[in-house]
Amino acid sequence: MNPVRRFFDSHRHHFEPGGRFARFGFLYENLESVFFAPAAVTATAPQVRDSLDVKRFMFLVIVALLPHYAFGIFNVGYQAHRAAGLPPEFFSVIGVGLKAVVPMVVVTYAVGYFWEALFATVRKHEISEGLFVSCALFPLTLPPTQPLWQVALGISFGIVVGKEIFGGTGRNFLNPALTGRAFLYFAYPAQTSGDAVWTLLLPGRSAPVDAFTAATPLSIAAVAEGGPIPQAWAEAGYDLWTLFIGLYPDAIGASSTLLCLAGAIFLIAVGVADFRIILGDTLGILVTAGAIRLLAGPGAAPYLLLDPWLHLMVGGAAFGIAYMTTDPVSAPALSRARWVYGFFIGALTVLIRVFNPAFPEGIGIAILFMNCFAPLLDELEVRARLKKRVSHVR
Amino acid sequence: MERKHLKNGFTLRISGAPDETLASLPPPRQVAAVAARTRFLKPRLAVKVGDAVKTGTLLFADKRRPELRFLSPGAGRVSAVNFGPRRSLQEVVIDLEEPEEAEAFPRLDEAGLAAVDPEELRRRIVEGGLWSLIRELPFREAAALDRRPPQVVVFLDNLEPFHPSPRVYLQGRVERFRFGLRVLEKLSGRPPIVTACTGGAETVAELKPLITDLLQGRYPAHDPGVLLYRSRHRPEQRQAWIVEGQDVLLLAELLQEGRYPIRRIVTLGGPGVASPGHLEVRLGAPLADLVGGRAAVGERLRFVAGGVLTGARAESASFLALHEKALTLIPEGDRPGGLLEWMLPGRQKPSYSRAFLSSWMPSSVPMDCNRHGGIRACIQCAFCMRVCPVDILPQLTYKAVLAGETEEALAHGLLDCVECGLCSLVCPSKIELLETLQRAKAAVREEMR
Repeated sequence: MNPVRRFFDSHRHHFEPGGRFARFGFLYENLESVFFAPAAVTATAPQVRDSLDVKRFMFLVIVALLPHYAFGIFNVGYQAHRAAGLPPEFFSVIGVGLKAVVPMVVVTYAVGYFWEALFATVRKHEISEGLFVSCALFPLTLPPTQPLWQVALGISFGIVVGKEIFGGTGRNFLNPALTGRAFLYFAYPAQTSGDAVWTLLLPGRSAPVDAFTAATPLSIAAVAEGGPIPQAWAEAGYDLWTLFIGLYPDAIGASSTLLCLAGAIFLIAVGVADFRIILGDTLGILVTAGAIRLLAGPGAAPYLLLDPWLHLMVGGAAFGIAYMTTDPVSAPALSRARWVYGFFIGALTVLIRVFNPAFPEGIGIAILFMNCFAPLLDELEVRARLKKRVSHVR
Repeated sequence: MERKHLKNGFTLRISGAPDETLASLPPPRQVAAVAARTRFLKPRLAVKVGDAVKTGTLLFADKRRPELRFLSPGAGRVSAVNFGPRRSLQEVVIDLEEPEEAEAFPRLDEAGLAAVDPEELRRRIVEGGLWSLIRELPFREAAALDRRPPQVVVFLDNLEPFHPSPRVYLQGRVERFRFGLRVLEKLSGRPPIVTACTGGAETVAELKPLITDLLQGRYPAHDPGVLLYRSRHRPEQRQAWIVEGQDVLLLAELLQEGRYPIRRIVTLGGPGVASPGHLEVRLGAPLADLVGGRAAVGERLRFVAGGVLTGARAESASFLALHEKALTLIPEGDRPGGLLEWMLPGRQKPSYSRAFLSSWMPSSVPMDCNRHGGIRACIQCAFCMRVCPVDILPQLTYKAVLAGETEEALAHGLLDCVECGLCSLVCPSKIELLETLQRAKAAVREEMR
């Protein structure tokens, strides 16, 4: 017999009623169900059920995020080497990246699982797999310099306040990962904003070398004056290709538009993300940025005149669109509501970016804001549908 | 013939589809009239163990609706009256004895049908024990005797896996079928709508002129409830009578021959059947006889009377009920999955979603009765709303039901629900949507009585 199977079979009795750890029976079941799908069968019609479950659904998001982790680990090390003026030697880069990213992931998962397990124990239900997606998303949105205790605090806030107090995955109205991220932003601005936090400094260094630009493309855009923004980016060493690939100082794994595009296509292809939200987001950004550009006139600040599609190339916009807005729980459920939801997220993102100097990046706040409106959008569409529906009551 | 395209729905590609071969079974030793698996039935027994009965003798009838009479599908002696949980009548078993005698009912020919009074015709069907085959929307129970329906819909094809093909059960019986249609016209006062699905009954030349609506779409496009939802916009127009094609033949046989019909054609299909096909069987035949030696070996099988989505679980020792036209065998699947199997691409994992490789391949795959996942809260994936053939929003309607908001559930279209089972099928959180909606419908029915 399979050794993993044997392990579970030989320890089951501790967790069954009367066993030493009967209280934690669901934890055991949960762990077992990670390795072996449960044996439960249908009790009522339909006698057969779809092979897809929430576990698989959420797992596919994590699959889509793995390239971001690979890229993030590389980019953190790469930027650290550039900031130190060292040649980006591959293994050394990866080593630095791993050393920064792995502890954050481990802390996130350990703390996140602790809270989920605590609530599951008290409420006597199974652990919902949404947790693993939240915990996979959260570190990718953080600067690589974030202290670990803040990481722990952030995910705690995200999981507990963003999700558990409302009843857990499926009953939350905010995106838990973003809730945690927003908490860190407002609680610890010194460690989550400004130009310094986005680049890891190698041990022994207190500042980057002079030739290195620590500013993110977004902060360059926000303060640009005079010439067009792409020119300012080019001067800082960010040509379009670099921006598209994402090789600039930013949150750990959120900078690569290329990977976000690939991830979005993958998630749409496997039916986990709704293309309506993603296209709605994109449309919202393009239309709003385009309208601002039209209305601004030639003498306006360069940020108002930025080519609309360039908004998708910098910062966390693409990451938010592909992974945060498409969270089905905090998004509306109905199709037209999803278009509207996406559009407004895109529009708000651009407005915050362009007009609010306090927020270089707007997508996180835009998504949380629209999360709050998701039930309302659903309600409006339901009403519109019911108006057309013929009541079938005698 | 009007062609109608019906939206939404989902065609399940499950293996074990019956081919069009028709086999006959050796005569059974026992038959039974089955009360289990008939919704809303409250049977009152009319016989006791040891009584001698003829084919067509009354065995039990509904307490509240005495017009729902269930007659003996064979002649012999009552050998057992089986009860289930809470003393609900399961079936009355008859040991067949040769020669089989049959109760005589009045016969009706073409000329007689033209002249007969609809009241009298109705009385003959009730006496002949077949009134329960004429069902009524929205609750799909036997039609009320005292109400003329706005419409009668006869549906020839049934897209649910797996049901008899009209190409088999109407073979050589088209004349009788026409007679049955005229009976329904007489009863309701208007010609019935006859529906078929593309690729089904329409491919038979002599059936073609009878079909009024050709339905194109995925399961459950065949269901009259879907057609009525899409085409009739006043609620009372949707409260039609629905009759399955094969039941029209039974009604016609009863009236033409003057005896209780005892044969019908059923399918034996599903992943648990080694050689699926059509069978000509006695009404009330033991399910075990239907299976014969055709069950797949090495698996514990679940017997499902009806199709895989709406069929009811049956004991293997049970019998075929009057309204049942299919027996589906599905492996029970009550064992844990393989190590980390849920992470694999899944070539053999059928799914509505595109989350497995199987969704990208055209072949049919076997399924079992495993639930394939733990029960979770709704994550608003919106799959149920996309498959629903009558535009209910199941994920919101079931919440309305559970919150006790019956009015809201009704406004959502609860009574349009055709009970196809797709919402429960596709739900990744494994929520029992169909069961919840059916329960709510039953409660509304009680209230409306």
